[in-house]
Amino acid sequence: MTSERCEDAWRRETPLVLAALLRRSGDFETCEDSVQEALLAAAGQWPTQGMPDNPRAWLIRVASRKLIDHQRSHAARTRRELVDSTHAPVDTRYVGSATPTALPPQGDDTLQMLILCAHPALSDASRVAITLRAVAGLSTAQIAAGFLVPDATLAQRISRAKATLRSAGARFEAPTSADLPDRLHAVRHVLYLTFNEGYTSSGGKSLIDADLATEAIRVTERLHRSIPDDTETSGLLALMLLTHARAPARTDERGDLVPLAEQERTLWDRDLIARGTALIEQALSAGPAGPFQLQAAIAAIHDEAATAEATDWLQITMLYRMLDRLAPSSTVTLNLAVAVGMAHGPTAGLDVLAPLLGQADQQHNHRVHAAHAHLLELTGSTAAAKGAYLLAARLTGSIPEQRYLNRQAGC
Amino acid sequence: MKFVILVHSNPQPWGHPTGDYVAENQALPKEQREQMNTEFEALLTQLEANGELLGGEALGDPATSTLYRWQSGKPIATDGPYAESKEQFAGFFMIDVATRERAEEITEAFAGPGETIELRPAMWPGGGDR
Repeated sequence: MTSERCEDAWRRETPLVLAALLRRSGDFETCEDSVQEALLAAAGQWPTQGMPDNPRAWLIRVASRKLIDHQRSHAARTRRELVDSTHAPVDTRYVGSATPTALPPQGDDTLQMLILCAHPALSDASRVAITLRAVAGLSTAQIAAGFLVPDATLAQRISRAKATLRSAGARFEAPTSADLPDRLHAVRHVLYLTFNEGYTSSGGKSLIDADLATEAIRVTERLHRSIPDDTETSGLLALMLLTHARAPARTDERGDLVPLAEQERTLWDRDLIARGTALIEQALSAGPAGPFQLQAAIAAIHDEAATAEATDWLQITMLYRMLDRLAPSSTVTLNLAVAVGMAHGPTAGLDVLAPLLGQADQQHNHRVHAAHAHLLELTGSTAAAKGAYLLAARLTGSIPEQRYLNRQAGC
Repeated sequence: MKFVILVHSNPQPWGHPTGDYVAENQALPKEQREQMNTEFEALLTQLEANGELLGGEALGDPATSTLYRWQSGKPIATDGPYAESKEQFAGFFMIDVATRERAEEITEAFAGPGETIELRPAMWPGGGDR
C-alpha cells in the first residue's frame, strides 16, 4: 500500500464525506473541520496499517465522531455560558449509525459541494481556496504552497470564507433549475481560476506537492462526470487538457518560458490532446458553443499542428471572431489581432489592435504592447518593435515573461 | 496580487511606529494623531483577519546596518547607513490582494506627514496573468 494510493483515496472521498456530514448538520464550518480531522487521522493510519475496505465509510465514521465531539463541546460551552444556542442538540444515535448503505449518490454531492464553494458571497480567492479544501481534499499547507503564501494567511482566508458562508446563510442543497445556469457558471469560473493559478504560481515546474493545475483538472473531471451533458463544462475540461498537454514544453531547462511557436512539439502529451480533442468535438456537435468551448476549439487547432507554420490561423481567426461576439474582452481582441496578423498579414493585425492601443485603461497592459511588438517585428519595423518589447517587459509582473520580452528586444 | 508597502522615514531618535518620532507628525493635534493611530490599528487587524496581510517587519536603526561591497574581487564590509539621505528604509509590509485598486486603498492609510510610503508590486515566478 503506497501512501500515494491512500492519499488518492481520501482526496477522492473528501466531498462525499463532507456531504454526508452536512446532511446531518447544516453547519459547514464544523463539518469541514471534522472532515479535515478525519483526513489527518487517515494520513496517520492508512499508510502504515493499510487502507480500510470501505474508505468512505471509515472517513464518515471518524468524521462523524469528530462532529459529535465538536457539537458536544459546543453544547457544553453554550450551557455554561447560559446562552441560547442556534444549533439543535444532535441525535447521536442517528449520527453514530453511519453505514455504507446510507451513502448518497456521488454525482449530485460533488456538484452541490462545488456550488456551495462558489457561493456569490465569497471573493474569487476564497472560492478557489475553499474548493481545494472541500472538494479536492487538499490540506491548508498544500493550498498555501500552491498559492505561494504563508500557511497562517491561507488558514485565515479559509476560516474567513467559512464565516462568510455562515453569515450569508449558505446551505448545502440542490440548486433549483432556475438557479442552476448561474451557479454552474460560477463553478466553472472558479475551476478555471484554479487552473490558471497553477500556471502563474509554479512557473510550469512542479516544485510543490500540490500542483494546482492538475487539481483543477481532477475536480473538473468530477464535475464533468456528474453533468456529462453540460457542454460548457466539457468545453472547460477540454480547454484544460489541451492547454496542460503543452506543459512539458512550456519552459526550458532554465525555467524560462518557451512561446508556443518555438515549443518542441514532440514533448506535448498526445494522450491529453486526444482526450481533449474528442471532448470538444463531441461538445461542439451537441449545440451552440459557449466561450470555453470556443477557447478549447482554438487550443485544439494549435495542438493539432505538427509545426508552428502548419497552424490553421484562418480557422483560429474565425473562432476568435465568434468569441468576440459572444464574450467580448480586451484579451479576445488582442488574440484576434495576433491571429489576423498570422492569417492575413501583420498590417491587418495592427489594424485590429489599434483601438486597444488607444484605450487609456490598456496603457499598462503588457500583453497589448507585447502583441504590438510582435506585429511590428513582422512588418520589419525593428526599432519600433524593440521599443514596444521593452515597454511590455517593464510592465509585466511575471519574471520569466520579463526575461523573454527583454530577450525579444535584444537585451 | 502581491505588493510590498515600503515605509521611508527618518524618525529622530530611531523608533517605531516611526510617525511618533517624526517632527511633522508630532506637530499634529493630539486628537488627530490618536484617531490616525486607531484607524491604522483597525486596518491592520482587518488585514490580518481577512488574510490580505502576509507579513512585515519594522527595521532597526540604519546605523546598525552592515553594507557589503565588492572590492578587488571580494566582498568588503562597512558599517551603515547606506546613504546620508533624509529618509531611510524603515520597515515593510507584504500584502496579497485581489486588485491594484485595493492595494492603493490600503497603502493610503499608511501615509502620514513627514514620511513617504511606497507601493510596489511583487513579481511572480510563473507565466500568465495575475
